[in-house]
Amino acid sequence: MGGIKDKVAIIGTGVTKFGEIWEKDAEDLLVEATYEACKEANVDLKKDIEAVWCGTFYTFSGVAGTSFSDPLKLFGKPVTRVENYCATGMDAVRNAAYAVASGVYDIVLACGVEKILDQGSRGLPGIESMFPDPTLSIASAPAMFALAANRAFKEWGWTKEDLARVAVKNHSNGARHPKAHFRREVTIEQVMNAPIIAYPLGLFDCCAMSDGSAAVVLTRPEIAKKYVGDKYATIKASGMAVETLFPWFRPTETFLSFPATAKAAEAAYKEAGIKDLRKEIDFGIVHDCFTITELIDYQDMKLCKPGEGAALIKDGVTAIDGDFPINPDGGLKCFGHPIGATGCRMIVELTRQVLGKAEGLQVKDAEMGFAHNLGGPFSVGTVTIVGRP
Amino acid sequence: MVGILSYGAYIPTWRLSRDEIAKASGIPIVMPGERAVAAWDEDSLTMATEAGFDCLNAIDPEEIDGIFFSSTTSPFKEKQTSSIIASALDLRKDVLTSDFTNSLRAGTIAVKAAMDAIEAGTSRKILVVSADCRVATPASIYEQIFADGAAALLIGENGVAEIENFYTVRDAIPGPWRRDVDEYPREFEPKLDVKYGFMKDLPEAISGLMKKSNLTPKDISKIAFYAPDPRTYLGSPQLLGVEMEKIQDPLFVNVGITGTPHCLLLLVSALETANPNERILCASYGDGSDAFIVKTTDKIEEIRGKRRGVSAHVGSSKTLPRYEKYADFRRIRETAWPKWSKVAHVMYWRDEKSILPLYGMKCKNCGTLSYPIGRCCIVCGARDNYEEVKLARRGKIFTYTLDYLVGPGNTEGDGINPGVRAVIDLEDGCRMFLEVVDCEPTEVHIDMPVELTFRLLNERSDFKHYGWRARPVRA
Repeated sequence: MGGIKDKVAIIGTGVTKFGEIWEKDAEDLLVEATYEACKEANVDLKKDIEAVWCGTFYTFSGVAGTSFSDPLKLFGKPVTRVENYCATGMDAVRNAAYAVASGVYDIVLACGVEKILDQGSRGLPGIESMFPDPTLSIASAPAMFALAANRAFKEWGWTKEDLARVAVKNHSNGARHPKAHFRREVTIEQVMNAPIIAYPLGLFDCCAMSDGSAAVVLTRPEIAKKYVGDKYATIKASGMAVETLFPWFRPTETFLSFPATAKAAEAAYKEAGIKDLRKEIDFGIVHDCFTITELIDYQDMKLCKPGEGAALIKDGVTAIDGDFPINPDGGLKCFGHPIGATGCRMIVELTRQVLGKAEGLQVKDAEMGFAHNLGGPFSVGTVTIVGRP
Repeated sequence: MVGILSYGAYIPTWRLSRDEIAKASGIPIVMPGERAVAAWDEDSLTMATEAGFDCLNAIDPEEIDGIFFSSTTSPFKEKQTSSIIASALDLRKDVLTSDFTNSLRAGTIAVKAAMDAIEAGTSRKILVVSADCRVATPASIYEQIFADGAAALLIGENGVAEIENFYTVRDAIPGPWRRDVDEYPREFEPKLDVKYGFMKDLPEAISGLMKKSNLTPKDISKIAFYAPDPRTYLGSPQLLGVEMEKIQDPLFVNVGITGTPHCLLLLVSALETANPNERILCASYGDGSDAFIVKTTDKIEEIRGKRRGVSAHVGSSKTLPRYEKYADFRRIRETAWPKWSKVAHVMYWRDEKSILPLYGMKCKNCGTLSYPIGRCCIVCGARDNYEEVKLARRGKIFTYTLDYLVGPGNTEGDGINPGVRAVIDLEDGCRMFLEVVDCEPTEVHIDMPVELTFRLLNERSDFKHYGWRARPVRA
């Protein structure tokens, strides 16, 4: 089986401010992120971009490639709309990467956008329409992950305080990120005493509903040099696994590990040739949609053994100045989670870190990092590894 | 001889004290005690189904030839309730389904129709289920009097009791009524109704029955009958010329008056403690009166304690803290119930077997039992290689959460928030994901034993979708 290690270069990144952006619509956000990425890549959208993959979950300009072509008025080019639950953004990048790696296109754009607030809802808008069977129970997104938290409490003795450490760490990082939704530090007590959303997850255990957009320009390394010199990163690996929308009906489900993450990570490490993860990779971005998710992510990403996730953060290993920083950007906890944008924003963050451009929250000597984007009730796992060429 | 083969009952978990109702309405309590309140996801259909399950405990549903449902509160104006119950109970496809409605006397009429079918030899076993969920006009005295519940009798030959005789009296007295546009039953002159309706029709039916049977009150050990209010019950020994001991406890103190099923519920209650060869008289009232005599046989002792019946349901209750919870349960005050998105009804039709009688799939390749039924096994992926298996009704919680975001209600104080969602391992090994009802969120924990309960799931696309939820195991 072949791979894409070092066959794809990221030459441009763009990301909007994330947050409650009432005054802008999806079109505004998509135009901002796309033009920022093209500018950084020194490419012209209309002249140089040959194809586009646009990740977006909700519908604002058609359930089609028109989600991108209409806002940008970029007509007559191949545009694919990508949906894969909360892993939509990273899957858009993955598909775009394969397109340039295959040699069919030289320069492509992958982007993601979501205007969740316009949908008007507490929690994910219209979640019941994702579960169209009127007789099967529906759970909110925090409830899906709370099922794992209660199991971890029972099995490993984890506590709400263990979860709270994730929020405290990520808020501490995000407070320094100019584009984050929440730029305020929180205390353990604040997190633990917040109102319950889905027991045992409280308000600060959950990421917010936010608006935002991100974009990356991809090409092959030999072409990259013509546009940006040596200011580009390469994709070392891209792993993905899809499980089920109904983990609660699967008798083998432990709720202590998300198999989609573990399988995507295994595939990515193999493709990148990673033998000693903690030594060869410098930092990571994981899908901390909820605090419990980050702790389980540590384990599924093989940073530690099952049950040791809570100790890993307690020992400071995943702090921005720790041995293996996780979510130096502040994660979903601080950026919120515009579904289609998140995975794409993770690639932007990885790229800026390995190029040493993460001002204010630069991980020391960051040469290679991974990003993990998880969709659905642990249904879709995607892992991308990005490093210096 | 035609008689009763089995009995069952259902009284919902929730009680509301009459003091709470009095506080909310400003009307003094008519009598101390509490009334039974159907949960927000219960109605006459679900309660009758639960009573049917209680009655059919350890009886093969294949043996049932007919199911008669009776109520004044059918969930649909046009759509048969008994056919949905028949599916949930997993009865045969050629079972005769019929709804008896529009009168508080409909329950005893259904018993008579079942008796006639057995006697005619066209059916061997007919399940009679009766339920009511009558919502009283808010701030009326009937909020304290009405209650929700269901009863079930399996009618056939050579049972735990024989039905010796039946007598009926019709009456066009206005009584209480509810037009198809009315939300609540309208009140006829109560005193006139009792004096010229109840006090005339009930004794007429009972004396007619006694005369037909050549019996006197001395031959009767208990009289189980419907009366419209507790005061009328108190005056009934005099009216019927019997001692107070012969009046079957009307369950007013801890249940309330359930409407159509009430006299049958009291009959079930009497049968639970009856000895062999006792005669129990059962009488209804509503647009006339029906009365019938039941004589227990030796088999009455074989069934004792094997049904939850009235006693276990009365003995396992939880209290609603406030009147407002009742108002939310019955939707008589405006709350932020969600606007469900549309779904295709066709799904509900196509998957009936897995939804109503609750069948799962057992993979013949790897042995996994799973739900819902699909073409391929959820564990090994084997295609079209399974058998459909009826799932266990009990299990325990594997993991759970209290969901404040998505539920039938979305606001604090709607009586149903937070929604308890649990991953449940059924006793047969099937993994389920169900909402847990009839419980305080604080009592839920991993490994908690639960049992399944048949409920109204939602009204997406303006249809009533019924199916299964879980609740803590009742006594």
